[in-house]
Amino acid sequence: MKTWEELEKLQPKVLKIIQNSFKKNRLAHAYLFQGKKGTGKKDAAFLTAKSYFCEHLEKNYKPCGQCSNCKRVESGNHPDLHFIEPDGLSIKKEQIEALQKEFAKTGVESNRKLYIISGCDQMTVNAANSLLKFLEEPTEGTMAILITNQVHRVLPTILSRCQILTFQPIPPKMIQQELEKKGTPSHIAALVSQVTNNIEEAFSLSRDDWFAEARTKVIKLYEVLDSRPDHALLFIHNHWVPFFADKEQMEMGLDFLLFLYKDLLSIQIGNEDDVVYLDILPMLKQQGLKLGQRTVLHQIVSILNAKKRLNFNVNPQLLMEDLVLTLQEG
Amino acid sequence: MQVIVQKNKLVESVQDVMKAVSSRTTIPILTGIKIVATEEGISLTGSDSDISIESFIPAEENGTIQAEIIEPGSIVLQARFFSDIVRKLPQDKVEMKVENHFLTIIRSGSAEFNLHGLDAEEYPRLPEIEEQNVFKIPSDLLKTLIRQTVFAVSVSETRPILTGVNWRLENGELTCIATDSHRLALRKAKVETNISEAHNVVIPGKSLNELNKILDENDDLVEIVITENQVLFKTKNILFFSRLLDGNYPDTSRLIPMESKTDIVLDAKDFLQAIDRASLLAREGRNNVVKLTTFPNGKVEILSNSPEIGKVVEEIHAKNVQGEDLKISFSAKYMIDALKAVEGSEIRISFTGAMRPFLIRVPEDETVLQLILPVRTY
Repeated sequence: MKTWEELEKLQPKVLKIIQNSFKKNRLAHAYLFQGKKGTGKKDAAFLTAKSYFCEHLEKNYKPCGQCSNCKRVESGNHPDLHFIEPDGLSIKKEQIEALQKEFAKTGVESNRKLYIISGCDQMTVNAANSLLKFLEEPTEGTMAILITNQVHRVLPTILSRCQILTFQPIPPKMIQQELEKKGTPSHIAALVSQVTNNIEEAFSLSRDDWFAEARTKVIKLYEVLDSRPDHALLFIHNHWVPFFADKEQMEMGLDFLLFLYKDLLSIQIGNEDDVVYLDILPMLKQQGLKLGQRTVLHQIVSILNAKKRLNFNVNPQLLMEDLVLTLQEG
Repeated sequence: MQVIVQKNKLVESVQDVMKAVSSRTTIPILTGIKIVATEEGISLTGSDSDISIESFIPAEENGTIQAEIIEPGSIVLQARFFSDIVRKLPQDKVEMKVENHFLTIIRSGSAEFNLHGLDAEEYPRLPEIEEQNVFKIPSDLLKTLIRQTVFAVSVSETRPILTGVNWRLENGELTCIATDSHRLALRKAKVETNISEAHNVVIPGKSLNELNKILDENDDLVEIVITENQVLFKTKNILFFSRLLDGNYPDTSRLIPMESKTDIVLDAKDFLQAIDRASLLAREGRNNVVKLTTFPNGKVEILSNSPEIGKVVEEIHAKNVQGEDLKISFSAKYMIDALKAVEGSEIRISFTGAMRPFLIRVPEDETVLQLILPVRTY
């Protein structure tokens, strides 16, 4: 978990707002932290929790990190801090009900209670409605922090009851440079920087063999689609589905494919600096000239659609076959 | 920490605190039992954050040494394993020693367990007890108090505050009220206290049920301390903590009618059995409704009609009927619960009309009161 200082470098604005709220004792009853994956939302939430419970606040806002409350927040053992994250695909109504029961009671150690809901866009409609009641009538000394990376999927009724703090993404170019400094090949670094916003995660991904291989598979698929369209379905069956076995991997695979088509578009509009697949630039250039912008756009949309469907538990093989057929149509 | 303790005492204590440990908990440390050794003895704590039970093994009791404290200290051990280990140890004496990194060695006879423990600092802290804010009730009275009220708490979570029992302490009198907004149970009791300030708290019904299981049926005094967040019940060697419900309990005093239009006195046992019989058919119906009619000649008729199944009529003799004639319908289940709770050979029921709540009391006893709302029928 990051310290206040480390996080301050990445998210100066957000931390300044939190810091001032603590100093002036004007904390809102509910916050919504929104921003891309890896921007430090969860770290910020736990830091806020520490400040909220800490016994020896430094300068009225900074948690000491030494007292038993800080330590227990860190280890997940604080009895008045409740952390909820999706159980499986979504946050279920039961989880929110358990939370509600918890909040009908007095605090275990003090009158302060705090709950953090991670991935609050993944709440079922029922869960979200249960939560609403609680956000509407906050009890004294209760604070909520909701975390999401897809703010547009959160119910507007929930949004309107929270103070929204937006976490700035770190520019991908910066991550790419950072990785290249550590000796990562530039074509890997470029792709990694698109996938995550967290430098540590980016670094570990860049050393992951799976990641490099996944990248090759995606390029392969593109080549097959381009040169031997009738083999595409076979490729999906033999290579793609066994390799991208679970949902997260599949999602990443689709993301990679998306970046590739985005590259085509970048080339067409003369934006070659943004190309992610640097090593196959000549081939992409050739393709980019051949296809129309409208076609590429259409293809991008179909990949985005496939990504959406993935979340509805569609059979991955059928999903990919459908996608490949759509891509071939052009 | 290093201690040597009598096995049977340890087993007993572990069993007591295990009642509070829940396997389903979001806080990892609560899967463990906290063990603290001080000069005076060893205390064990189990908790599911709603209730916490602390059991104390004194170093010396009645001249026999039960625990030898070689080095004071504290540790949290996994409850599931620790309770099984302790139970199955071969000898009468158990030695426990905490080494580096919370590694705990449990030794008895030739058996030796190495158990990975957790830092006791991580365990939730229970509220400090201030000895001056204490009031005392005999254990058996406390059990009666709980039994006579807790059944009436609400089971639905729509109004969480009603899932608890309201305890009000004023001028040396404790009033317990539970209601689910269809019925109400009230019980008063005199308590020994030196507290002058009034207390008004709501204790979760579930906690009281647990407490009832732990208390012994004797007249030992139980000390009760109410703090800001928790209530503590203290018996000889067990401390029982419960969290309170947050919020204001509704004012129930205006619900209880002061005057009555019809008063009947009945033999409690006969009446209970008659209602029970009537509910045999009513149970199948939607709300388990029975109808009661009084006649001027001192007869009371209990009727239940479920058109699809059949009908039951029973006439019982009231010992006394005063006031207007009356026809009223109510839930048989609520009536049975209330009759079981009041405990008296005779009961008096006071009605104020067919659409108004009625009271069930024991004549000459002002401490117990049950209130039921009637059901509207046509």
